[in-house]
Amino acid sequence: MSRNKPAKRPKLANEGLVGRLRFFIDRALLNIRQNVFVNLVTIGTITLAILIISLFMLVFVNLEGVANDWSKRVQVTAYFEQELAPPELAALKSRIQAIPGTDRVTYVSKEEAFKRFRERLKGQELLLEGITTDVLPSSVEISLKGASRNSDAITAYVARLKKVPGVAEVQHGEEWVRRYTTFMNFMRLTGLLLGGFLFLAVVFIVSNTIKLTIYSRKEELEILSLVGATRFFIKAPFLIEGVLQGAAGAGLALVILTGCYYAFLHNAGNFLSFNPAAAGLAFLPPVYSAGLFASGVLLGFIGSATSLKRFISV
Amino acid sequence: MIQLHNVFLSYQKEVTALHGINLHVPRGEFVFLTGPSGAGKSTLLRLLYAALTPTRGQVVIDGQNVTRMTRSQIPHLRRSIGVVFQDFKLLPNRTVLENVAITLEVLGWGKQDINKKVFHILKQMGLEHKINATPLRLSGGEQQRVALARALVNDPKILLADEPTGNLDEENKDLILNIFKDANIRGTTVVVATHDRRLIENSHKRVVALDKGKIMEGHDVAQ
Repeated sequence: MSRNKPAKRPKLANEGLVGRLRFFIDRALLNIRQNVFVNLVTIGTITLAILIISLFMLVFVNLEGVANDWSKRVQVTAYFEQELAPPELAALKSRIQAIPGTDRVTYVSKEEAFKRFRERLKGQELLLEGITTDVLPSSVEISLKGASRNSDAITAYVARLKKVPGVAEVQHGEEWVRRYTTFMNFMRLTGLLLGGFLFLAVVFIVSNTIKLTIYSRKEELEILSLVGATRFFIKAPFLIEGVLQGAAGAGLALVILTGCYYAFLHNAGNFLSFNPAAAGLAFLPPVYSAGLFASGVLLGFIGSATSLKRFISV
Repeated sequence: MIQLHNVFLSYQKEVTALHGINLHVPRGEFVFLTGPSGAGKSTLLRLLYAALTPTRGQVVIDGQNVTRMTRSQIPHLRRSIGVVFQDFKLLPNRTVLENVAITLEVLGWGKQDINKKVFHILKQMGLEHKINATPLRLSGGEQQRVALARALVNDPKILLADEPTGNLDEENKDLILNIFKDANIRGTTVVVATHDRRLIENSHKRVVALDKGKIMEGHDVAQ
């Protein structure tokens, strides 16, 4: 019987960053193959979690889109002290355009104002008989940039507009703007609160699922530490597994969301009284989708990292 | 190789698992730790592979003071120690090859070298034909031999065994004892915790008897 020689170490296969990374990825894939059920449970949980959050975001994005459309109705109308000649009008328009927050300035002549009034009274045109276009004043209609479409910004804007020489009177739907601003603040606050609670619930559920799956493999962690594996060696494949589970879960959730979105778009007309395609129902912007995917990956990684901390004693 | 100096270990303030243990096991020796259940055999073994740290006293393994080791140094100590248990601690969803290979993967060996070395040790254990079986398809004796192969595959300096024959029949007990003896002849220091009198009597090795966390007077006997 030959005696033990000092530890004979053959050429290492997993040296260097690439070699080690490849080894750990191989190990993570092997773990997935050998623990299919446990992995499916984790991926399924992450899929549901991301799906719930993405549905919430889809609703929120569309509500905000609708609110944004409404905000375009916010308009300021300025009336002049006297009728202006074209050169004076151009100078006035450029002065208004220079006020911060101005998006577009449109001149509405007396004729145009009368035409609009006539359209509004459709069917009762007889009321306008004998009235000339002189009865209505000319004006400029100013639409505002997105950031200036709230109560405080409009009040400040109107104050500056009134100081422009030649402007006699300024009108804007004060009450409407106030209500709109209140509604938007309420919607954002509700969204933030609901989203926050939803996010916390999802993180709690996913991290506990991962904790349970790692708990089911605590014997493997114990054996690895018994045979002298470093903490990094034990953790790395589990973390890669977490990232892969997160990516698979988030990817699957986005695929299901896309499928549901198009199915709803094409079939909702059959059971709802409106056509979502015509109503401009939008999908999540690419940045949001990328964010959701990254959240899934992060969820898998952090869930695994925090759970491993509990079970690795070395 | 193994030195314990006045080692005390308390789990809680009231429960003292080990009480003033002094033990010296020279390189290449074969020692049985014996005593009734709860005597502190397993606790003493756990100190040796740094799963526990003593409340008081010093534990020196192969010239390294385990009590002063940082957490990151412990894995390197464990690479020179093989450990086997009564319940084998095999991974049920991995093959025999994969179970044994873990020890060498941790050391960073390449796949081909691992396969050669694992096949070689399984052949020594008479298990080469079970290389692709999973542990649940093996008998108790075979499972313990796989666990021994995992512990011995990197030629460790020390082999620790906690009741290794507790779940085995007489024939398998002898088989396992012979594997311990072979490893010892090759130079591995062997410490086996057991209360199996027959195993101790058949081996004619040094016996250290523990009771209530203490080494019993006149019971550290070289047979």
